[in-house]
Amino acid sequence: MTIANSALLQLLQLSSPALPVGAYSYSEGLETLVQQGRLSDAEAVYQWLVQELRYGAVRLEAAVLLRCHQAMGDRNFDALQSWNQWLSAARETAELRHQSWQMGRSLGQLLQALSPALQPAIVCCQPHCNFATAFAIAAAHWEIEAVIALLGYLQSWASSLVNAAVKLVPLGQTRGQQLLLKLGPDLESAVENILLLQDADLASSGWGLAIASMQHETLYSRLFRS
Amino acid sequence: MTLDLSGSAPRLRPPTASQGWHGQLQLNFVYQGQKTVPLQPQTTAPLRLQRPFYPEGGVCHSVIVHTAGGMVGGDRLSLSLQLQPHSQALVTTAAAHKVYRSSGLPTQQQTQIRLQAQTCLEWFPQETIIFNGAQHQQMTRIDLEPGAIWLGWEITRFGRSARGEQFSCGQWRSQLEVWQQGQPLWLDRSYLQGGSDVLQSPHGLNGSPVIGSLALLGYTLSDLQLATLRDCSAPGSGDTGITTLINGVLCRYRGASSQAARAWFISLWQALRPIYLQRPGCLPRVWGR
Repeated sequence: MTIANSALLQLLQLSSPALPVGAYSYSEGLETLVQQGRLSDAEAVYQWLVQELRYGAVRLEAAVLLRCHQAMGDRNFDALQSWNQWLSAARETAELRHQSWQMGRSLGQLLQALSPALQPAIVCCQPHCNFATAFAIAAAHWEIEAVIALLGYLQSWASSLVNAAVKLVPLGQTRGQQLLLKLGPDLESAVENILLLQDADLASSGWGLAIASMQHETLYSRLFRS
Repeated sequence: MTLDLSGSAPRLRPPTASQGWHGQLQLNFVYQGQKTVPLQPQTTAPLRLQRPFYPEGGVCHSVIVHTAGGMVGGDRLSLSLQLQPHSQALVTTAAAHKVYRSSGLPTQQQTQIRLQAQTCLEWFPQETIIFNGAQHQQMTRIDLEPGAIWLGWEITRFGRSARGEQFSCGQWRSQLEVWQQGQPLWLDRSYLQGGSDVLQSPHGLNGSPVIGSLALLGYTLSDLQLATLRDCSAPGSGDTGITTLINGVLCRYRGASSQAARAWFISLWQALRPIYLQRPGCLPRVWGR
């Protein structure tokens, strides 16, 4: 797999924690789990993230990202819009849905400022453009191949949640970086699996994530947004 | 029912057993003369419909009976329900639904529900027990017209856990879709592979054999109404959560007891019903046993 220098730079920009979409303000259930004593060390966090990649909500997001990337390549805005709606309706909790919409709105506004040519694609996904959709729109526009965009998306997702775990568990900074490095092969195999998913295979089994995210909506004291 | 130790179906098969049974049910509820009536219900074995009850005025209480008690590989069920404008129905089942170990062929259940304007369907099937080795697929599609409300629940047990059975092989897939005027409101697609790490991991079932979901679609709760719902006491054991959907609300249970899930869902329903139907809860008499 090779990537053009320009595409690499744009992927790094898109998947950077410095992208102003507020990814750092969400814990996707981790804050609830840490408070309940269910995630108490780096290994438990690692296992949780691996399960999420194999069976969870992020796997569905990633599969929709691929489909939106394809729709952009085909200039098929109807498909883009319906996959975006599909993802909104597949979000299991209000918290996960609002996170996806808020980050999608922020990225959509940014993209329209960076590249006015993207306006029609962003507008067709309003009023609620999911983050994975906006990410796919940008990646397709910058000619970042779907498989590489997917790897960047998942790495950026993992990086945000590892940072959340560093604050919550807490873990040392070095421990956090070790954890992220250890996730590398899991991110690669997740991408391989997600590329093979047919539409009929789009299902998840993350009951633990759904319940932790629901409970976070009413958690008494919290650092992360709901 | 005969005591079943093997996990196979304790019943006589129809002559064409290799094809499996295809049970069908078609219900068309209409509002006439101040009450809701199932007009000319159509059923084929092993599905049957009991005579409707009216314990609370015009709302039609209907009970679906599966005369064989469960499904074996190759069996299919197709249910189709339609509510004509202004009709209100509560539909439940007479007993727990069993899906037995499959010898190869999957079992399939398809449900299509169409709710026309200003209707309300309360859909309360009793627990489904997925035996170890079952290969089950269920698909439910609900279409809501403006002003239509659907409140339903589903309680699923993996393995006959009371006798220590785990879901160590087999497969379960569930797809529930709720649409309103061409837009998806809720797409709930789940799967579970028997024997997978999902059974024990905290991200999945966390060692719990029972999952349950209650959802209300077609009605957006105010913050105050949501708070009322959250004040309902949670079951003594198991994990629970409540959240909102696009034009709806979702409550999930994960734990060891289908009784606890059902008791919690009944209390949530009793809190919700005065809000969306301006009526107190009225338990179907078939649950009284």
